[in-house]
Amino acid sequence: MEIREFLTPERVILLAGSTKTEVLDELADLMVRADAGINHGQLQEAIHKREKLMSTGIGHGLAIPHVRLAGLRDPLMAIGVCRDGIDDYESLDNKPVRIVILIAAPAGQHEVYIRLLAKASDVLKLEEIRRSIVESDSPEEIYRILTGDE
Amino acid sequence: MPPAATILAENVHMPIILIIGLAVLFGTIGARLFQRLHIPQVVGYIMIGLIVGRSGLGLIGEQALESLTPFNFFALGVIGFMIGGELRREVFRKYGRQFIEILFSEGIGAFVVVSILTGGIAMLITRDVAVSVAMGIILGALSTATAPAATVNVLWEYKTRGVLTTAIYAVVAMDDALALVLFSIAASVAAQLTGLGDGGGLFAALGRSAYELGGGAVLGAAAGIGLNFILRRVRDRGNSLTFIIGALAIVVGAGKWLSVDVILAAMTLGATVANLAPRRSRMAFEVVERFAAPLYVLFFVVVGAHLGLREMPGWIWALTLPYLLARSVGKILGANLGARLAKAPEVLRKYLGLCLFCQGGVAVGLSIMAGSRFPGEIGLAIIMIITVTTLIAEILGPPCVKFAVRRAGEVGLNVTEQDLLQSYKVGDVMDRSSPSFSEGATLGEILHTIAETGAMSYPVTDAAGELTGVITLQDLKQGFSTEGLSEWLLADDLKQPVVDTITEGELLAEAVTRMQEQDLECLPVVTGGENLRLVGLLELRAVNRMLSQEIIRRREQADGVPG
Repeated sequence: MEIREFLTPERVILLAGSTKTEVLDELADLMVRADAGINHGQLQEAIHKREKLMSTGIGHGLAIPHVRLAGLRDPLMAIGVCRDGIDDYESLDNKPVRIVILIAAPAGQHEVYIRLLAKASDVLKLEEIRRSIVESDSPEEIYRILTGDE
Repeated sequence: MPPAATILAENVHMPIILIIGLAVLFGTIGARLFQRLHIPQVVGYIMIGLIVGRSGLGLIGEQALESLTPFNFFALGVIGFMIGGELRREVFRKYGRQFIEILFSEGIGAFVVVSILTGGIAMLITRDVAVSVAMGIILGALSTATAPAATVNVLWEYKTRGVLTTAIYAVVAMDDALALVLFSIAASVAAQLTGLGDGGGLFAALGRSAYELGGGAVLGAAAGIGLNFILRRVRDRGNSLTFIIGALAIVVGAGKWLSVDVILAAMTLGATVANLAPRRSRMAFEVVERFAAPLYVLFFVVVGAHLGLREMPGWIWALTLPYLLARSVGKILGANLGARLAKAPEVLRKYLGLCLFCQGGVAVGLSIMAGSRFPGEIGLAIIMIITVTTLIAEILGPPCVKFAVRRAGEVGLNVTEQDLLQSYKVGDVMDRSSPSFSEGATLGEILHTIAETGAMSYPVTDAAGELTGVITLQDLKQGFSTEGLSEWLLADDLKQPVVDTITEGELLAEAVTRMQEQDLECLPVVTGGENLRLVGLLELRAVNRMLSQEIIRRREQADGVPG
């Protein structure tokens, strides 16, 4: 499984917002532009419902919000980077979140969904990768780090 | 004068295949109506036959009844084959001597009591000793036969198993042979007494019986050896059925052609196959059982349609009640005495006699033979009495069998998994305390619960207790695949969407069919209506375990019936 199968350069951005709600909405917009089949409201609702159960800020400045959606055709990934950090993300180690990876998968593709979560977690567990992503100046470079160094 | 419907039927000539279809359809509907009244289905079939046959509307004409004769013999062959399958060597090794003593005792009991009572009444009517004795002993001989078909149909319907059931199979299988021998002797003595009939002497008559019985047994055994040879080489059910039906048709046809006892030949065929290959033959009997249901319906509808009550003179009715009473008393006392002498289990002493009231084809066939050997009033009276009493015995006999096997505690002990599935509801088997997870349960909490329980699947519910998904052990395995993932995955992430649910009140058979069709290991049980509120979990593994345990428990209960 390769990240490039689920991520395109257009779905990598430097985040404009600085709060959890703002950045999650930004990434949701990005994903809706990529797949016309996604219902924006439904996606936002699913993301916030999952965050209510437990924050997806998993520590080390990384958050992986993830949802399964009925209308989606293929699993998708969108990445946003906030160099200043998102303080209100309530991550597990209480540190600001700088990299947010939104993963959405069709409701019926459970196995791919879990493997994609595992892949994202696996790639970003290395501190130098996280650092080079946060220090990157352009989405293209972030895309290259995530897909080229695998 | 024949009823208008008969005239219509004779002129319209309904195609025989249409008559078969209607008989099977309406016979089955009749049986369902009677089952609702807790009366064995066979009574329903016969009543439908009576309504549409000679005694009722006359919709099935004489010609149609004639055309159906080969079907009837074939159905008798199938019934004989199935009974033969119950006559296994190990059963005879255990109970053989007892069963034979009871058989002679119940047969002779009926013979003696019927002969004395009907002979006595005939004496009052005819004032002729020879005619009265002749009539008495012939009716006595005919009274010993028990109709196997109607009797065992009740055993099959109520899935009975136990020593009483085994004894019924053994006795009904053999007492037709006893009837045949007694009839040969009685007919010969009657011919000497009255100076009527074709005579030929006692030894000639006994020789004829020996030929019919011995010939039937040899024919059945030879066909059984051949069929067993073929079945050893045929593995699939479809081909087995073809060969079994072929063998049965050959045995029945050859039996008719050679004038040997057809039912005995079919029973010997079944018993030979069952004893040569006890395990493999189970499949053979299962496939025949599934195939045979419409044949039985047709057989009993035709039995009912055949019975002609219209042409009965009034005085014949005066003999029918004493005959029936004497036959029943004779069989009950005889079976009881035989069971006492043989030191047989108590259930046989108490209930076996009650199970031997049905009277059918053999008695009717022999009465027709008596009619042709003794022209005039004796022959006519015997045919009439046997016709009427057959009707009454076929209607009253099955409920008596049902009563006896129920009192003996043998009902429902010979069940298959399919029977149990039809008899249980989901609520009887589901696990009400099966662990479930809230959507926010962490992987750590999930693993802790799994370590303490043995389930393979776990429902996931939201804050309102409504079902939102299911986690299986397979899903959890994927959660472990990456280090660190287990720290932040929740039940909500790991759950699979709900494919199907079921409610407590639905049949277990329905639940299992749905699980098999959708390849599911479990079905969450929810409240009905719009809300999917979780009330328990039904796991296929648990259903299979329960079914196996229940079947073993019931079989042990049947095989260990007190006495």
